[in-house]
Amino acid sequence: MSILLNNRTRLLIQGLGNEGQNQIRRSLDYGTKVVAGVHPGFRGGDSFGHGNHDFPVYATVSEAVEKTQANCTIIYVPAPGAADAILENIAAEVPLIVCITEGVPVHDMIRVRTALANSRSKLIGPNCPGIIQPASRCRVGIHPPDVFMPGNVGVVSRSGTLVYEAVDQLTRAGIGQSTCVGVGGDPIIGEQQQAILRRFNSDPDTDAVVLIGEIGGLAEQAAAAYIKRSMNKPVVAFIAGATAPPGRRMGHAGAIIEGEAGTAEAKITALEEAGAIISRSPAEIGSTMRRVLEEAGKYQPPGPPAE
Amino acid sequence: MNIHEYQAKQLFRAHGVPVPGGGAATTEREARALLKEHGPDVVIKAQVHAGGRGKGRIVKRDRTSRIYNDLISEPDRHEGQITGRRRGGVRLASGTEEALKEFRPMMEQDARLVSIQTGPDGVPISAALIEQQTSIAKEYYFSIQVDGANGQPLIVASAEGGQSIEEVNRTNPRAVLRVPVDPVEGFPSFRGRSLASRLGLPSSAIRPAGEMFANLYQVFADMDASLVEVNPFVLTGEGTVLAIDGKVGLDDNASFRHGGYEEWRDRSQENPTEIEAEEANIGSYIKLDGDIGCVVNGAGLAMATMDTLKLHGGEPANFLDIGTVNRKDRVIEALRIIVNDPDVKAIFINIFGGLARVDIVAEGVVDAVRELNIQQPLVVRLNGSNVEEGRRVLHDSGIAVQTADELGDAAELAVNAARTSKRRSRSND
Repeated sequence: MSILLNNRTRLLIQGLGNEGQNQIRRSLDYGTKVVAGVHPGFRGGDSFGHGNHDFPVYATVSEAVEKTQANCTIIYVPAPGAADAILENIAAEVPLIVCITEGVPVHDMIRVRTALANSRSKLIGPNCPGIIQPASRCRVGIHPPDVFMPGNVGVVSRSGTLVYEAVDQLTRAGIGQSTCVGVGGDPIIGEQQQAILRRFNSDPDTDAVVLIGEIGGLAEQAAAAYIKRSMNKPVVAFIAGATAPPGRRMGHAGAIIEGEAGTAEAKITALEEAGAIISRSPAEIGSTMRRVLEEAGKYQPPGPPAE
Repeated sequence: MNIHEYQAKQLFRAHGVPVPGGGAATTEREARALLKEHGPDVVIKAQVHAGGRGKGRIVKRDRTSRIYNDLISEPDRHEGQITGRRRGGVRLASGTEEALKEFRPMMEQDARLVSIQTGPDGVPISAALIEQQTSIAKEYYFSIQVDGANGQPLIVASAEGGQSIEEVNRTNPRAVLRVPVDPVEGFPSFRGRSLASRLGLPSSAIRPAGEMFANLYQVFADMDASLVEVNPFVLTGEGTVLAIDGKVGLDDNASFRHGGYEEWRDRSQENPTEIEAEEANIGSYIKLDGDIGCVVNGAGLAMATMDTLKLHGGEPANFLDIGTVNRKDRVIEALRIIVNDPDVKAIFINIFGGLARVDIVAEGVVDAVRELNIQQPLVVRLNGSNVEEGRRVLHDSGIAVQTADELGDAAELAVNAARTSKRRSRSND
């Protein structure tokens, strides 16, 4: 059932403010199994209801996990409390933590990464759209569900809206998705692109991967190194920012480590040398993938939805 | 967010990092007081956020673009000098009268500093830092930054200081030391002494340098900094160490813990349109050279939109990430910024709603067209959350707008609209 999520995913939502409530309603409507909420002093009392669905709301993550066997948490907590929420989930040994929150201080993420290193938890995000798996109707994030379709292509991206853009093109080209992962756009995140590629590589439900990177940092080079070394499935890649003026996002600090490596051209070269197929235009990700799948004999025309 | 050198040195001093005696002045009275205390031999440094100020030049406003063009046509050019007639942003002086002769032009009403980093308008000078001159035996480099890949702080140091560390890294990478910091341990003095020893500092300087490095790490940790850089710190003639320059970058995301960093912020150093965008709560705005005004949600899609325009032969007038739109006045504010840019010949709105709802975006677009009396041709591409309602709102409003469902098609429409609009404005001239 592809990577990270499956139909045994039992979702816990942390942060039931307005946005958290809106988003969890859409996940419930999509078919995601939400088993618990955590929100100290929740104004709705000790449960949250939406249509035919309802789930209990607890004050702490450890209590919610103990009572409901939740195995995945989505965090919508505002930035000042987001790192604390992640640490709480690490302490409760939640296996998969997804943090949507934008604007988490980088020093907080240094603490989080230290805690993660000695833990049983994996983190996706922060500042990301989350994960969605169309076949299991599992939406752990903020995605517009209508553009997604079950299928055999995995998507991994630093940018959230580019996940939607790429998936929209794939779906229009008749290509469904196994799992779509937005790893997040911040300097320090949990799992990076190459870790997601590794998961897709050993996933029987994924035949090819769309990789979307952007200028700055060295994550795409690490992904390219992994592709060269181990990837046995086609990767179609797009790097955003080829035409961006230099110097604004990459400050002095980044430049010291990266030098020229942060440019789109350097990333494209590294990925091309590793054997990835580059889509120069962001508008051609879907058509490029269609060609790649057809050449590999892996194109599966969309059929009636599987039961 | 960047702060001035004199502010960085206030932070250094408060954390026990040795810096030269001195302070910032904006009035002649303040300058005289500082000169009395720290003179006669001083260095006077223009306080601006842009780099390259030593090679840059202090001039009046009407000369900035000429100097700037000279600088960028010859990248190694030194336009300004440390002494002599052509005034750079860093000047040496001896005695009160000579020092005031250097101070006054920096603080004149229409004085600007132009460097390779400032752009053709230069930047205003916020203050002058007046400091004792230092006897320098050798210059070194030290910085602390965040290593995103490893998720921990990284110290970079070199015995080849006083020049661009990127240049040292290119020509002599072995001279650049990298020390990852265990965030639980921090950077205690013994680690600092070990680094001092690796840098080849003499025995007299090992202990004070170790303390200085540990204290600089405290500045980094206490201030939620994204960068602390000292280039150079020096070994003095007396055999101890001194931070004679200082650069600190603060993490905007942590400003809630530091009173918004208000006491450190200097709005005179920021682009007015970018401040306007920030006050309207717009994620991010950067002015560019082209003629197609862009409003996009998400930094990645905003960059991809620019890339697509260029591939279709167009030029974006700006980068604008509107962020998550859940109120339509935000769309109006974003379009106000775009419409006020005289370079904009066509407008391209590209929104793929996730958290953002595109029906609200559509309502904002309709209101903006009426409220702002938008004359430029408008291309709107909506997709994602509540897209059907969004398209209906646009259609029912009767406003003049071209739409497309796919990114490539929409970009082509925008490029053609800008061309037609340019031709029309030319034939009207």
